[in-house]
Amino acid sequence: MSMFFQDTSTARRRRLTMAGLALPSILMMALVNGYPVVVAAVQSVHDGGLLKLGDFVGVENYIRVFQDPLFWKSLRFTVLFAMCGVFGSWVVGFALALFLRTRFPGSAIFRVLLLLPWIVPIVVTAMGWNWLVATRNSIMPQLAEALGFGPVMFLADPTMAVITVCVFKIWISYPFMMMMAAGALETVDQSAIEAARVDGAGPWNLLVHMILPMTARSTYISWILMTMFSVNDFPTIFLLTGGGPVNATSSLVVMAYRTVFQDFQPGYGIAITFVITTALAVLSLCLFNLIRKSSVS
Amino acid sequence: MNDIMRMKRRTFLAGSAAAIGAAGLPSLAFGAEEITFWDMVWGASGYTDAAREVALAYEPAAGLGEVSYQSIPWANWYQTFTSAAASRTTPAVSSGAAFLPFYFMEQGVMIPADNLVSKLDAAGKNDFLPGLLDAMTTHDGIAAMPWSMDLRVLWYRRSLLEKAGADVPTDWDSYIAAGEKLAKIGAVGLGIAASSTTTDAKHTISALMINNGGGFFAEDGSLDCVNDRNIETLEFLKECVAKKIIDPYAISYNSDNVETDWINGHIAMGFGQTGMDRIVPESERDDLQVANPILGPHGDKGTVYYINPLMMFDTTPSQDSSEAFLEYYLDNIKAYWETGVITDLPVKRSIAELPVIQNNPKLVLAINEWQPHGKTIAAQSNEAFGALNAVDGGNATATFAQRIVEGKSDSRKLLEDLQGQLEKIMN
Repeated sequence: MSMFFQDTSTARRRRLTMAGLALPSILMMALVNGYPVVVAAVQSVHDGGLLKLGDFVGVENYIRVFQDPLFWKSLRFTVLFAMCGVFGSWVVGFALALFLRTRFPGSAIFRVLLLLPWIVPIVVTAMGWNWLVATRNSIMPQLAEALGFGPVMFLADPTMAVITVCVFKIWISYPFMMMMAAGALETVDQSAIEAARVDGAGPWNLLVHMILPMTARSTYISWILMTMFSVNDFPTIFLLTGGGPVNATSSLVVMAYRTVFQDFQPGYGIAITFVITTALAVLSLCLFNLIRKSSVS
Repeated sequence: MNDIMRMKRRTFLAGSAAAIGAAGLPSLAFGAEEITFWDMVWGASGYTDAAREVALAYEPAAGLGEVSYQSIPWANWYQTFTSAAASRTTPAVSSGAAFLPFYFMEQGVMIPADNLVSKLDAAGKNDFLPGLLDAMTTHDGIAAMPWSMDLRVLWYRRSLLEKAGADVPTDWDSYIAAGEKLAKIGAVGLGIAASSTTTDAKHTISALMINNGGGFFAEDGSLDCVNDRNIETLEFLKECVAKKIIDPYAISYNSDNVETDWINGHIAMGFGQTGMDRIVPESERDDLQVANPILGPHGDKGTVYYINPLMMFDTTPSQDSSEAFLEYYLDNIKAYWETGVITDLPVKRSIAELPVIQNNPKLVLAINEWQPHGKTIAAQSNEAFGALNAVDGGNATATFAQRIVEGKSDSRKLLEDLQGQLEKIMN
């Protein structure tokens, strides 16, 4: 009995010691993450500038968000941008991961080259793309004209700018998806694949009915991550188009940035970011639910 | 070894106290606390080194503080200043963006420069170019000291105009005529960059509005976007778009894109900073010329300028030290023009009369012919104010510029939309 109490008191002391050791880190995390969130929440219900809090306006900023036509335009673009980012990069990444499973001379170099869009800093990549498409004398417009498409304004035409930005997103995101897919493909049971092949399954059937279900869990996780990356992706859009032309490529994050740091309306801008965060949280829950339901036998 | 290495707590505390005391000795010994000077990265490479040299060469009079120099990058400059102001860590003095002092004056974190101007008057050093001190004046006093000026002038490439058989424009009609001829040879008659990440197109539009006696504001400072002069200006720009005088690609141009087009001879005319000819090789500089101010439809002359300020914050340990340093600094900034590390114009007559300026006909033309007709984007308001930061750098004017280059919208509707957007961010 006394031994039991001694044990439990020792265990309690150990737990307290552990908790005490962890406490500074927990407090630091709470301060670093929690404090800005609290300050931002306070600012979102005020109408001040960057220097002063201003008057309390309650949920006025949040109501204004949903009444702002630019918010809905930005939301539409964000959804499109995220879908392209997730599914476009996944298709490309998965296809390349499958392709890289076959060994061929120089495949290692090819694998490294395929990672370059992810490795190279986004600023450099954006400058490179700008150089490729921005002006009448850039390579891509010149090429388009030579091929008989006429003057294609990749960044100056709103529709073309949306397409260009989405393709740019796929370009910088597919290496991540490729890595995720490559990792997932390593876990695929090759004996099952061989058995299916012996039973007469063709490549398409193997992919749709065997490989994709077997890699579903990893795929869903990569979708969740890429959704968050895409919705919160500021530099990709801002460096290439700044959200233009005429707000055609203004995502919610870009809109929030411009509202806070160019229009100097932090309350309203932060309200936008809280709306984004809430939407992302709901979306993540839905996708996590998908993962839970996906069974891998 | 351990005994030797071990330090008693009292010894450590005593040592710390001594060290802290020693650190405080200089200020005690010289009686005045050092003041900090924040300086943005202006002009060409070499500017920061030159500015540091000027600042650190300052030898204060007895009882006044010395100066420490800190270069501040333009990236996130607004956040840098506002967070410093919010946390009361602003420097004693600072250079900064054109409308920052007006915002800070309204927020009550700055000290007006009236006393310093009086000192300059008394010393016979108040030789600022016409209108500049007026442009810095608010109802609370002079917001900041001008030290240089980003003035927009009309540049043209002589060889391209000759090739197109076009004359240098003198008014809006001849501008259109020259632009049409330039378009026929594939050259751009009004080079602008209208991307959301640059303010270049806004500057050109503002310059043309002022050229036509218009502007975003009425004399009392209230918004007045939808007026006949502005509509007329937008109609002119619309004509430029329709006649390919403005490149449709310019809607997404950033500063680098427009600079590249100037360099490679794609742009033949356009508004740009004084000193813009530095972007082309020296052999081509003579080809890039400054035109005389063009006349608007009603005979007005005008352009836009941005006055670069020197601000004094109330966080200074000594206002006398701040003013003494700025008085010295304004006396010595001529070195920037003498060494060629800056592209903006001087704001003082004494610097404008330096041989290095007077021997450059483009600068002389800019100072003598363009500057007297210049106004800030507060035009036609009698004074500047803090909200101009959001007007100049905000999304409303960026979208407005892009819609102009699109060339699809009715001019009045564009101005009405702009007025609506600006009302939201100014209230």
